[in-house]
Amino acid sequence: MSQPYLTIRRLVHLKGPNIWTYRPILEAWIDVGELARLPPQAIKDTYARLTAALPTLLTPGGGIEASKGFAKQFENGVWAPAVVEHVTLVLQQLAGMPGGFGETRATDTPDLYKVVVRAWHETVTLQALESAIALISSAVKGSVPPVEPIINTLHTLRIKHCLGPSTACIVDAADDRDIPAIRLSAGNLLQLGYGINQRRIWTAETDNTGAIAETISRDKDLTKSLLQACGVPVPQGQAVNNAAQAWEVAQEIGLPVVIKPSDGNHGRGVFTNLSTHAEILAAYPLAEQEGSGVLVERFIVGFEHRLLVVGGKLIAAARGQHACITGDGKQSIRKLIASQLNADPQRGREEDLPLNYIKLDSAVELEIARQGFSWESIPALEQTVVIQRNGNVAIDCTEAVHPDIAETVCTAARIVGLDIAGIDLVVQDISKPLIAQQGAIVEVNAGPGLLMHLKPAIGQARQVGRNIVDYTFPAGDMARVPVVGITGTYGKSMVGKLLYHLLGLHGWNTGLSSTDGLFVQKRKLHTGNSANHENARRVLLNREVQAVVLENGAKQILSEGLTYERCEVGIITNIDWAQDLSEYKIYSPLERSGVYRTQMDVILPSGMAILLADDPQLLALSQYCDGQTTLFSKSASTPALIEHIAAGQRGVFMDHGQLIMAQGARRYNLCNVSAIACTEQAQNHQQICNVLAAAAAAWALGVSMELIEAGLLGFDPDTALPS
Amino acid sequence: MEVSRIRALRGPNLWSKHTAIEAVVTCAGAEADLDQIPEFVTRLRARFPDVKPLRPFGHKEPISVAHALEAVGLGLQAAAGCPVAFGRTIVTPETGVFQIVFQYTEEPVGRLAMDLAEALCLAALNDEPFDIKLALSKLRELDEDVRLGPSTGSIVDAARARGVPIRRLTEGSLVQFGWGSKQRRIQAAETSNTSAIAEAIAQDKDLTKMLLEAAGVPVPTGFVVSDEAQAWEMANKVGLPVVVKPRDGNQGKGVAVNIETREQLAKAFAVASDISSDVIVEQYIPGHDFRMLVIGNKLIAAARRDPPNVIGDGVHSIAQLVDHVNLDPLRGDGHATALTKIRFDDIAIATLSNQGLTAQSIPEKGKRILLRNNANLSTGGSATDVTDEVHPELAARIVTAAQMVGLDIAGVDLVAETVSKPMEEQRAGIVEINAAPGLRMHLSPSFGKARPVGEAIVSTMFAEGDNARIPVVAVTGTNGKTTTVRLTAHLLRTSGKRVGMTNSDGVYIEQRCIDTGDCSGPRSARNVLMHPDVDAAVLETARGGILREGLAFDQCDVAIVTNIGIGDHLGMNFINTTDGIALVKRVIVQNVAPHGSAVLNASDPMVVGMGDVCSGSVILFSRDKQLPVLNTHKAQGKRVVFVDGESIVCSEAGQEHRIALKAIPLTRNGTITFQTENAMASIAAAWALGLDWSIIEMGLATFVNDAQTAPGRFNVFDYRGATVIADYGHNPDAILALIQAIETIPANKRMVVISGAGDRRDEDIIQQTEILGESFDQAILYQDQCQRGREDGEVLALLQLGLKNASRTKEIVEIRGEFTAIDTALAKLQPGHLCLILVDQVQEALDHLAKRIAEA
Repeated sequence: MSQPYLTIRRLVHLKGPNIWTYRPILEAWIDVGELARLPPQAIKDTYARLTAALPTLLTPGGGIEASKGFAKQFENGVWAPAVVEHVTLVLQQLAGMPGGFGETRATDTPDLYKVVVRAWHETVTLQALESAIALISSAVKGSVPPVEPIINTLHTLRIKHCLGPSTACIVDAADDRDIPAIRLSAGNLLQLGYGINQRRIWTAETDNTGAIAETISRDKDLTKSLLQACGVPVPQGQAVNNAAQAWEVAQEIGLPVVIKPSDGNHGRGVFTNLSTHAEILAAYPLAEQEGSGVLVERFIVGFEHRLLVVGGKLIAAARGQHACITGDGKQSIRKLIASQLNADPQRGREEDLPLNYIKLDSAVELEIARQGFSWESIPALEQTVVIQRNGNVAIDCTEAVHPDIAETVCTAARIVGLDIAGIDLVVQDISKPLIAQQGAIVEVNAGPGLLMHLKPAIGQARQVGRNIVDYTFPAGDMARVPVVGITGTYGKSMVGKLLYHLLGLHGWNTGLSSTDGLFVQKRKLHTGNSANHENARRVLLNREVQAVVLENGAKQILSEGLTYERCEVGIITNIDWAQDLSEYKIYSPLERSGVYRTQMDVILPSGMAILLADDPQLLALSQYCDGQTTLFSKSASTPALIEHIAAGQRGVFMDHGQLIMAQGARRYNLCNVSAIACTEQAQNHQQICNVLAAAAAAWALGVSMELIEAGLLGFDPDTALPS
Repeated sequence: MEVSRIRALRGPNLWSKHTAIEAVVTCAGAEADLDQIPEFVTRLRARFPDVKPLRPFGHKEPISVAHALEAVGLGLQAAAGCPVAFGRTIVTPETGVFQIVFQYTEEPVGRLAMDLAEALCLAALNDEPFDIKLALSKLRELDEDVRLGPSTGSIVDAARARGVPIRRLTEGSLVQFGWGSKQRRIQAAETSNTSAIAEAIAQDKDLTKMLLEAAGVPVPTGFVVSDEAQAWEMANKVGLPVVVKPRDGNQGKGVAVNIETREQLAKAFAVASDISSDVIVEQYIPGHDFRMLVIGNKLIAAARRDPPNVIGDGVHSIAQLVDHVNLDPLRGDGHATALTKIRFDDIAIATLSNQGLTAQSIPEKGKRILLRNNANLSTGGSATDVTDEVHPELAARIVTAAQMVGLDIAGVDLVAETVSKPMEEQRAGIVEINAAPGLRMHLSPSFGKARPVGEAIVSTMFAEGDNARIPVVAVTGTNGKTTTVRLTAHLLRTSGKRVGMTNSDGVYIEQRCIDTGDCSGPRSARNVLMHPDVDAAVLETARGGILREGLAFDQCDVAIVTNIGIGDHLGMNFINTTDGIALVKRVIVQNVAPHGSAVLNASDPMVVGMGDVCSGSVILFSRDKQLPVLNTHKAQGKRVVFVDGESIVCSEAGQEHRIALKAIPLTRNGTITFQTENAMASIAAAWALGLDWSIIEMGLATFVNDAQTAPGRFNVFDYRGATVIADYGHNPDAILALIQAIETIPANKRMVVISGAGDRRDEDIIQQTEILGESFDQAILYQDQCQRGREDGEVLALLQLGLKNASRTKEIVEIRGEFTAIDTALAKLQPGHLCLILVDQVQEALDHLAKRIAEA
């Protein structure tokens, strides 16, 4: 007897472009069991219970295509797997992820379906999928448990595993420019681009961000003295060793003053506008706890601002505001903070909210004490009480910045030596020059948070991720190295081997991951089958690699997806329409061609598809390629080939034993194919085709005819790969 | 003996190019002549035998306690190991007063040496005891504390050797190489090229390993674990023995190797998890520890690091053997020596107990006993250079490792049997990559050859021949400095450079004023040289700063001396003659780079003479083309600039370039003679820097000099048909130059408004009005706000005195207050009159004047 409820039979995480879509997905093979035969009333009840628990399921759009309205899915008999897909996506959305791609397809096995959902992160999406199954099962049984804890769990998982908002905005901007991004760590370290042309980004730091500059920025005292020497206004101040000295220095500088840790961050332990002996004595120990030393500075009257400098340009600016409450004559300050401030949906503990959650800590206590209050004091009706003077920089003011201030902050970043810097500046009016208002730069931060610019509480959001990407990569630079993807049923390894040989002769440090092993730069890095995601990724990570050749069999595409999201050259050597892919439940010709099509989908507009001209069904896949196509064939008389060349496109073929490369009217006669060792005197059909495909790929990558010919003649399949 | 006014001369100065302590020493009575107290020298030597002989053989001049103080100040530092040699004692015109100066390498050490020398001399004078051992150890300790560590020091020395100017930015190891826009920084073995991300990657051992694995660099297999049970599971998975270490850690802290049992693992896990919550368990690779240093894309040095050990003799206990090894004078306590004493602590005891030994065990003869499992020099390990043995394949793998992490300077820790075989042919692995690696083991290995790693680092920072300098023009003289600075800066700016400029009005970066007030001292100059947006610097270099601190730069490309004339500021710092002033101002000429030039006013004999001490070339300028010294220089084929008819002529080896005076608005067609001289000096400087003539001419034509751009510098106004000229000139030379210029302007009555600065000598104040009395019909004398120590009316009386025998001045008015004086003068003016106002509070006076002119 089959299972009463939904069971996951198999899970496949496709990490790159795949038969379903370009993006990573989770493919779950779900057995719907008895649910397929649920009575109509039970389906009706399930629908009602689910929509009651998750009303967003009915929201049109909501990340799910309108044509697949939720209700509609219940109309046919196979509602269950589609609902799994739908609920999983909605749960991901509620946990703060974008919705995204989803699909459900039947298999040849009764009650077994492939349910596919966009995987923002494998762990998080799997959790969403399992939660969705649990929810549906309980809806069928009768009562749906509260959804809140499920969402919270997913939310926590997302915060733990997914990229932070600052880094995510950089990845999105890179994606917009077709620059590939690879996440290198569980943290926010990214590789943008491939091989030798890659760059790295870690939140808002690039590989141009100097370690020394970062160290300087962390030393506030040193930063200040460097800025001051170069004429950038900074608050006068000095380091102190005890509270008594703090008071002494405060009097010298002139009251009011600021007391803060010399190396703390996030505004912790910073006390502003202190004017009495008592206040200074109270603030000193609290500041001391937060850092290794304490600074006393002149208090600059004005608003806190954060200005973002990227590559010598001012990109965005945000202004702070005091967090205040207004008394109602009834509630205590403690309660008013909760109801008027912390209840604000823009305020919270998570890093993707623009305003900080206000902790009832000693800093706030000191602030309200200065105004004569304690936690339980009840301010009079309409009485305003300042709760926090800093930490609320979230009002965009980019357009208002005076050019003089813009120039000064850029100079400050240069003095510290940072390519990307967040500059904290206090001034009354950002639209007027700094000096006349006695404004000053109080801090220069490396790796600044970008949230206040991405999601300001008030004002226009700034596309700072784009600025960072544009600064890191000049216009038009996609940070790629040529990637050749080889698929097909037979001959992939030989084509890879040939190309590795030819591209090496061309002077490129070439990486090859194939069933023969993993090779880089005349070295074998891995023995045994390396045509898989793990090894392909190693090649793309290698900073010495100038060209990449990757073998992708149908089984790899079905079990892992492609490792690269776009490529320069995509080759389909041939398709055996009888190949056994039953393991993946792929049977029909359409499904088969769908597998190989994946390789065509990812060819860059500037790229080249290389296809066997002899198989019309294979040839039909060329329509999915964004770039050009080169056809190859053993026979010069193949109609598709003749037609293609006549249309001004490229063809590589054999004519009277000779290797010919032709485009339109141009025809290049290369060597005799039988002179190429691996073709075994040109008797071996498959080897000849392999040579043709490799020659076509080398041509597409700009290797000269002369070198292709010489390289093919010198090719020895037994020694081409390092051992 | 009384020591006063101790100064640190932080750059080239009046006495030498070295950094030095300078002090004034007043000797009472016999102290000024030690022949009268012969026992002093004996007592001094008894307390500090290393003091150098005080009197050269055959010399008869009296030797004073000041001489002894200088010798002791220098000698103490030398005895403490500082490389110092220069010292001098100078007799001043005041009886019993001396100036002493002695070199230092670190300012605090020099200052401490001064204090200790004073105490020592006093002890010798009063026949009291002095603890020389304590004094020297204090100096040594301070020196070790403040001087750069060996790693940073080696890079700094290499940079200095290629002529890169050096400046320490902190008391720590942060150092600026070069100036302005060409500056770079280092901090220990990190450079401005060291990426913060790469450093963070190196900190994360797991991530580092993943990247190395991707690139096919052998690494020990390992796993991150968070509890002991998991650690044991993974230990068995990778295969015993294993290494246990904290995921985030450094300097080998908490690392345990060769763990074979569950008990050992438990202990090691506890230690590692104290440092980092994530602990790595990885395959233990038996072999030696090697430290490989990669700089840029090359392997520069390799050292084998051996843990501290003793060899048994069958007689002594391990504790005794350690004591014996530590007696080796090569083993020091800190980082200064090639070896450090073996630390015999809990870790050593634990290491022994792992081998079944105690401190009291007596190992058999020839048995090697390890006292630690890691080979850090600081705990007594040793380093043996193996650079020449490294197999090229292995070297390639090490370089790949550094590049995968992205570090420009990396210390790669390798465990291998040998470096002379490829990694793949043995069990070998890279266990760690360190940013900012210590260089000591390569600079002074315990055994084997030292490697020039500092040089390698400097050559990755700068291209061949680049010394990170920007053109520096220093300007000094009595008059015309500010205009010459501004014009020279303008010419450089016209050539497309971003110019930093200091003068007596402020500091300017490009057109932006970043500081105001008198900025002609070394602090402002240093700030300009530190500014990242400066491609060239033009620095007014006043006498005061040279005396107080020395120069802010070790070398300049051009030194301009406008004139010395009768002099200014006489009577300060024991400088009573114009010769003395010339000696001070000559310091910039003495420090012209060999490829640089001195631009000297040929009309001033005192200035021309400075050419003798210039190690670069000399350009002479003068309005007088007949001047013999100029003509000789010209005849020698050297560069000269002079006025011929309506042009300024630049001549070298028979080649001439002429610039029409009318194309230089500053000179008012050559009528303002001192501006013509300023223009000549600036042209010569621009010429020396290799600017195109077309650019120089464009710059001269576009230079604006008015009350806004050059307040107090010959600002000409029209007031109700009368000509009013405001100028800051406050010394006899300036006044002579002004009169010369004013005489070319027609006027039917001439009036002058003048005050006297209280800090000048009486005769200088008198001299001003003596000169003015010959050229003006009317004088308005006023007393300025700040009398600088003078009694009320005292300065006015001196001014009156100068006018006593005036041939022209008939009317004299005395006023209190600058504004009242200006108003009084303006009220008297009729069309066709001329009035020279010698302003005192420049900006305030000019603002006041502008207001009155606007009202008119």
